Amino acid sequence: MNNAQQTIRVGLFFLLGLALTWVTYEALSGGGFFSKNKGYSIVAGFESLKELKEGDEVRMAGVKIGVVEKTRLAGRRAEAILRIGKDFSIPRDATASIIMAGIIGTNYVGIDLGSADAPPLAPGAEIRTKVTPDINAIMTELGNLGQRLEGALGAFGNSMNGDGKNPGLFQKLDRLVTENSTKVDTTLSNLQDITTKLNRGEGTLGKLINDPALHDELVATVGEIRSAATEAKSFVADAQGILAQVKSGKGPLGTLVYDETTASDLRATVTNLRQVSDKLAKGEGTLGKLINDDGLFNTAQSTLRKADRALDGLGDSGPLTAVGIVANSLF
Amino acid sequence: MKQILSVLEGVGSTWLLLLRAASYVGTLPRQRTRFFEQCYLIGYTTLPIVAILSFFIGSVLALQAGYSMQNFGAKQFIGSLVGLSMARELGPVMVAILLAGRVGSAITAELASMKVYQEVDALVTMNIPPARILVLPRLAAVLAMVPVLAIIADLVGWFGGAIVAKYVAFISIEPEAYFTALRRFMKFKDVMNGLIKAECFGFVVTLVCCNIGLNTRGGPREIGAAVTRAVVVSLILILVLDYFVTKVLM
Repeated sequence: MNNAQQTIRVGLFFLLGLALTWVTYEALSGGGFFSKNKGYSIVAGFESLKELKEGDEVRMAGVKIGVVEKTRLAGRRAEAILRIGKDFSIPRDATASIIMAGIIGTNYVGIDLGSADAPPLAPGAEIRTKVTPDINAIMTELGNLGQRLEGALGAFGNSMNGDGKNPGLFQKLDRLVTENSTKVDTTLSNLQDITTKLNRGEGTLGKLINDPALHDELVATVGEIRSAATEAKSFVADAQGILAQVKSGKGPLGTLVYDETTASDLRATVTNLRQVSDKLAKGEGTLGKLINDDGLFNTAQSTLRKADRALDGLGDSGPLTAVGIVANSLF
Repeated sequence: MKQILSVLEGVGSTWLLLLRAASYVGTLPRQRTRFFEQCYLIGYTTLPIVAILSFFIGSVLALQAGYSMQNFGAKQFIGSLVGLSMARELGPVMVAILLAGRVGSAITAELASMKVYQEVDALVTMNIPPARILVLPRLAAVLAMVPVLAIIADLVGWFGGAIVAKYVAFISIEPEAYFTALRRFMKFKDVMNGLIKAECFGFVVTLVCCNIGLNTRGGPREIGAAVTRAVVVSLILILVLDYFVTKVLM
């Protein structure tokens, strides 16, 4: 083999090595062969990138649309640079989240579909993100829940069994039953007596339970009560009708209560009555004098006496004469 | 004590040889014929054995992983396991071991013969430093060829694993799923680490083999002894260096 052939083979071999290295690089750095510089990047900021690493997939509604190109810390948050294929546009209101594909740390960035009429995200723009709980957060929550449950059960146990200082519910119940066992026994025997009597049909309640006649009577009584109630109901309805009439101003009572004219007449009458009674009290007028003036009474009494005597004197005089005498003595 | 001294002597002479060879780097373009010749010997002729070995290493890795993982349903990660093992560890180490066995032994045998039969002394007499025409082209050729061998070993191993994963009944994983898992858990950095490791191993193996060959004294029996020693020292150095280089590269 001459030198030229040898050199050519070595050259080819070296180039083969370079090509294979390049292919491996493309295959492992994501995006497929020769497509690294295609598409565009967007930025997704998260509180934590969890297990996300470069080369992980970016999926929209489950379909692969790109890869995580780079992960970096930016101030107080972590950022993932997502390289999206040029055929895919992401609506501006779409939301990205880190989704766990397996329990051993396989993650991808999931982007929802967003709304159909939203404008697409521009290259280099930042996509909205949301936090999804990872397995650690869930485990922590479960741990906390377990602790709380344990605490609650402990408290429940203490309240049941006591905490050393204060007796628990069970102890209180135990003491209650122990201390009152005699009373409880008596009560129970009484209850037994009562139920026995009831069963035998003794006493009112026993008869009520066991005697069909008493039951029938009770049913009849209830029927009577019901009819009485019906009557009472009709009475109340009548009374309501009367009240309605009164309210509408019909009838004498209605007129008395609601008619303004009657009311003013009544008021005038009462005023007049008060005046009359005042006058009577003061002794004004004939009746007032009759009531208040004792002189008149005495005069009348003496006149009556005189009349009596005159009558005795007249004897057989006619009634007209007697009247005339009485009138003369009066006036 | 004598052995310790001989070890120290070996380390020192190896470093000196490296420095001497490095001082002649400028003469490399004029030695391109020798360079390509060594590339051909070190790279091109080693390719078949590297490919065959890597294929079966990848296959057996997939087989063992499938056998172990079928019990707890993690078969879909065979791709990741084979990919990472081949790229980070087995590819570079196997290439280095093959280099030690095939190329290192040849280098030591050749240089030891030249030394024993006083060809090296003749070169020195003619004011031609052996480090320049015997060592430098070999070191340069190893540096150029080992990454190529390593990347081929990785890829052939991956494909070997994929074939086993598909056609062995109790594994039965489609190549697509195999390579998806491989890509998901691997970065180019892993492959790069492997290539750097292979480069280190190849360089050290060649340097040590050259040094042992050039320091051979005695007759034909010593040539055989030198070859044996060169291969043994190379293998030990490969495995010792493997740990430290891996640690540094992590």
